[in-house]
Amino acid sequence: MVNSTIMASASAAMPSLASPSAHFMGSKVSIKHPASLPTRVHLRQLRISAACSSTAERPVSHLARPSSLYEVLGIPTGATYGEIKAAYRRLARVLHPDVSANGRKEAAGNEFIKVHEAYSTLSDPEKRADYDRTLLFRPTRSFSLSVEPMTGSTSSGFSGYTKRTWETDQCW
Amino acid sequence: MSSLFLIGDSDKKSSKSDGSNIQNSTFSKLLNFAPPFCISFHQFEVMAEPAYTVASDSETTGEEKSSSAFPEIAIGIDIGTSQCSVAIWNGSQVELLRNTRNQKLMRSYVTFKDEIPSGGVSYQLSHEHEMLSGAAIFNMKRLIGRVDTDPVVHASKSLPFLVQTLDIGVRPFIAALVNNIWRSTTPEEVLAIYLVELRVMAESRLKRPIRNVVLSIPVSFSRFQLTRIERACAMAGLHVLRLMPEPTAVALLYAQQQQQLIHDNMGSGSEKIALIFNMGAGYCDVAVTATAGGVSHIKALTGSTIGGEDFLQNMMRHLLPDYDNLFSSRGVNEIKSMGLLRVATQDAIHKLSFEESVQIDVDLGNGSRICRKVNREEFEEVNQKIFEKCESLVIQCLLDAKVQADDLTDVMVVGGCSYIPKLRNLVKSICKRELYKGMNPFEAAVSGTALEGAVASGISDPFGNLDLLTIQATPLGIGIRANGNSFVPIIPRNTTMPARKELVFTTVRDNQTEVLIVVYEGEALKAEENHLLGYFKITGLPPAPKGVPEINVCMDIDASNVLRVLAGVVLPGSQQPVVPVMEVRMPTVDDGHGWCAEALHRAYGSNLDLVTVQKK
Repeated sequence: MVNSTIMASASAAMPSLASPSAHFMGSKVSIKHPASLPTRVHLRQLRISAACSSTAERPVSHLARPSSLYEVLGIPTGATYGEIKAAYRRLARVLHPDVSANGRKEAAGNEFIKVHEAYSTLSDPEKRADYDRTLLFRPTRSFSLSVEPMTGSTSSGFSGYTKRTWETDQCW
Repeated sequence: MSSLFLIGDSDKKSSKSDGSNIQNSTFSKLLNFAPPFCISFHQFEVMAEPAYTVASDSETTGEEKSSSAFPEIAIGIDIGTSQCSVAIWNGSQVELLRNTRNQKLMRSYVTFKDEIPSGGVSYQLSHEHEMLSGAAIFNMKRLIGRVDTDPVVHASKSLPFLVQTLDIGVRPFIAALVNNIWRSTTPEEVLAIYLVELRVMAESRLKRPIRNVVLSIPVSFSRFQLTRIERACAMAGLHVLRLMPEPTAVALLYAQQQQQLIHDNMGSGSEKIALIFNMGAGYCDVAVTATAGGVSHIKALTGSTIGGEDFLQNMMRHLLPDYDNLFSSRGVNEIKSMGLLRVATQDAIHKLSFEESVQIDVDLGNGSRICRKVNREEFEEVNQKIFEKCESLVIQCLLDAKVQADDLTDVMVVGGCSYIPKLRNLVKSICKRELYKGMNPFEAAVSGTALEGAVASGISDPFGNLDLLTIQATPLGIGIRANGNSFVPIIPRNTTMPARKELVFTTVRDNQTEVLIVVYEGEALKAEENHLLGYFKITGLPPAPKGVPEINVCMDIDASNVLRVLAGVVLPGSQQPVVPVMEVRMPTVDDGHGWCAEALHRAYGSNLDLVTVQKK
């Protein structure tokens, strides 16, 4: 435990020296929560799936500091595995550097990395249970209600992918 | 002596080629980028360097400029160990380009027989044996970017041209036999000559200049090997948009086919998990992909340098147990006998895919003659180890992807070996599935690269046929040497790209002022058993007890697969780095990397070591 905090402090310090080119993970969506807890408590997830389809399509980048991995993916905390996957793919289609406009590939890469980290934690039942436990002890706002309204300025950056006609309404 | 000879030789040849390049358009194209081929490769590279477009340094800028101005559709190239093909998105579908002899699949070789080297795209072999006369170089994909301590290079010594090793970790010496003279070349040069032919062929078919390409590459290629491929492309005037592991190209084709089915209202939009087994003459690769809505998410990749060439060599040694002795002298007659045996054996193996047994009758011309029946069981027994390796690759890939055989929707077997019954059966039995029938096993990989070429060029299709995306994974782990001689992965294998990971290390002795960061790629536990990518020192660490300085090593792979390694040092309590952060684009090693690692070890021993910060 002691050293994992050292590690965290080091990585928090690094961005200040490398941030101009955004090489290091700037914001701490980092999944370096304690790797192994002595006892694993699997929280049974409540199934709240109603809000999913409306929120997942929205790019996450306008969330300057998403307060949870669920927010990164734009899904409710009770999302099912299928919904997590669907949200990940929808976001990949707009955020992956291969489909984003030239000139913002690096930013897109950083966003995609965050989305992928959120996905890889939430799609693994054990990691998700561990993560959900950390959420319980955090004074966090409840998710879906707290999302700030989208501002017009953020959507302009995504002009690059509009030409693609993704079939986002497929069932997964 | 040898330098005198080379100078004389190059003078003679270059004066001749001035006259002959007018007659041969292929070679005149090549001359724009490279001097005549008869000079030694040292001269070749030094003299020709300024004329090349070095892809590695202009990659991102070049891509962005060209695609924003007016999109030029990149062509897809599958450079196989044995056969090559070129394909392009023609506006409505993928089309394979044919050469003047109406072939879609062209033999991969370059013959140095005449003054002007010519490759399998344009050149018509009078007979299969001509390729085996010593004057032709082939299997370059097995040789490119390997050092002379590599077992694959050693196995290539039984090919009918010269592969000479000194076993010290440098580039092997390769030469073609022309008029009883061994003429030296390099795998990069051979590949470049071949790629120029492919480019000329594509330009004449498409009636426009070709610059951008997507190439398929084996999963097991190291990043150093990728730079060699890029180098060969640059020598041929081609700019690499993307190097795609072969099974991921097949996965993209599969993703597109599934989309098409939905468009035609014949398929469901649910996620499909597919396993792709791709085995050609040189390499065997496996991938597991999860596909939905045109997005191919690569879950896992495994690969190994085994292929049809190994089946062939095992069979030749089986038919002629004295093989290595007989051919060690490598005179013109030995090469001829070797070629005769090779053709006969190859023929027999092909037939054994469709017949239970086959009669071999070959006169080796040196007084010995092989006349016997070979059956399929015998072939399978001789190659048992290869089949076992194939099995383990499939099982490993499923394991890495965290996928059970029951989860698979489709299973594909593609590549030059895909008709070998034993291979089909072993894949079927592990995956508990019949094989997917929707694609041509010889054209799948090149079709996938053509799709990626169109997508990466920013082309869109009104019917949504190019609404495709591949989420790639790293085929090999990347890390540094630490904790003594251990390899500590920072970006593990099968990490989704783009990726960025970091680990914290610290010093091993008090007042250690320097640390050496040695970057490797691979899976082996011991550092030196992996591929060396590069190394650099961080100097000027302030004196501190061991274990105190925090050395943060960060690795970043962008979507174009460019790797950057960053390293910085902070002392506890300080928020500022004590020395400027190092940023290094890798690989930085050039030839002789086997040597480098040893020299580093000898020079520094364990004085500049690192250890991982232990989690307690």
